[in-house]
Amino acid sequence: MDKEEIFQMITRHICEVIPELKDHHFQSGDSLKNLGANSIDRSEIVIMTLESLSLKIPLIEIAGVENMGELASILHEKLQSR
Amino acid sequence: MKNYNPDEIFITGLGVTSAIGQGKAAFVSALLQGQHAFAVMQRPGRQSPVSSSEAGEATAFLGAEILSLAIPESLDQKVLRTASFSGQVALVTLDEAWNDANLDEVDPNRIGLVVGGSNVQQRELIQTQEAYQGRLHFLRPIYGMSFMDSDLCGLCTASFGIQGFAYTLGAASASGQIAILQAIQAVQSDQVDICIAMGALTDLSYWECQGFRSLGAMGSDRYSKEPALACRPFDRDRDGFIYGESCGVVVIEGSNSRTRKGVKPYARISAWAMGMDRNRNPNPSLEGEVRVIKKALEQAKLSAKEIDYINPHGTGSLIGDETELQALQHCDLSHAYLNATKSITGHGLSSAGTVEVIATLLQMQEGRLHPTRNLENPIEPSYNWVQRQSVPHAIERAINLSMGFGGVNSAICLQQY
Repeated sequence: MDKEEIFQMITRHICEVIPELKDHHFQSGDSLKNLGANSIDRSEIVIMTLESLSLKIPLIEIAGVENMGELASILHEKLQSR
Repeated sequence: MKNYNPDEIFITGLGVTSAIGQGKAAFVSALLQGQHAFAVMQRPGRQSPVSSSEAGEATAFLGAEILSLAIPESLDQKVLRTASFSGQVALVTLDEAWNDANLDEVDPNRIGLVVGGSNVQQRELIQTQEAYQGRLHFLRPIYGMSFMDSDLCGLCTASFGIQGFAYTLGAASASGQIAILQAIQAVQSDQVDICIAMGALTDLSYWECQGFRSLGAMGSDRYSKEPALACRPFDRDRDGFIYGESCGVVVIEGSNSRTRKGVKPYARISAWAMGMDRNRNPNPSLEGEVRVIKKALEQAKLSAKEIDYINPHGTGSLIGDETELQALQHCDLSHAYLNATKSITGHGLSSAGTVEVIATLLQMQEGRLHPTRNLENPIEPSYNWVQRQSVPHAIERAINLSMGFGGVNSAICLQQY
């Protein structure tokens, strides 16, 4: 799975958690926080994405992620190294 | 604490969601026609999974389930996504009561909420635990807060802006009525002007169904081919309660705060009482039931003869129904009209006490009493039963009874206003 596919997967989960963003044009620089996701929403989106990828990693490893592009990159990297 | 007059407590709004109807109009229409929804339960997690070694031993759990839940547009879809079924039903039911009592006009700091019920989301918890067995790493973070019953308080206060207070309480099958008692006391003590009492939907899984059945409390599956016949409070052929999904909400307030447009009391609460049997077990106590009935009548300054309608706890329990009738006789109440709401709705457990107060209020409003389904051979025929058909009757003074495992007894007197 490439980085773009992971990005699209993240956007799907964001829309599931925050339905009002379904018409938003997501960009790699978007931060979940600025999109209106509270801390519970952010955790939900991350875990749902990890579940979709069947990727088990310590959550601390993505704690400092700033935006969606960065999240997709780290998850892609972890997926490759598994 | 300010001086209060118990005559000043009113019910000014209500909401009800049940297997026989959503909203007060549908609910009372079904009640008066005796329209039930009993069947072999279909909601995922309600029937035990059968292994090959147990084939032939599996028993069907009967009950009444809400087939579709209409969600008002005003409720936030984002919130509903992570709300349990009990939570969704709580929001929908509160929405009806909130609008009924026009609570948008009230200072949110002066509104409180008491949610009656404990362990109300069991089916949903079991479903989640089974789904994530062996892949715990992916358990949704929301579980960390939604597993608590108090999540219902969070959902309701966030969605409706309630700022006075909110908490849950547990009193087994009397929870719904005890929530009303607590709400009354919160208004009396001036903690808030208005207090909402909710009997939450107890969402049973097959584990609780089996536990209740093993305990001898839940009815057997002998009517699994004819579920319509299974729920039969006070009938000689009863063999336990039959579950029914429901949630009820009532709005309690004193006379001083009732100045909102279009708000008219359903009834005055003239008395209430609660007492314990010093008993952990499910068995009832004649003495305990008599004590709360007498205490309530005394507080209401009513003689037994002045009560013209009784909404009993009446679950279909073998010993519970008999004990309750003995208590009524002991208190000289055998003259009053009597029906069993659970014969139509099923037993909502934590919601029952609230839903049955609502049933009383709506019958009061309609001037008609609902029938008692399956009451073919009453265990005590001399009582003033409403059996096969509804009957016209203008309730003036009613008493509602609730009992719960662990020796809980409670009573509320409702008076036409």
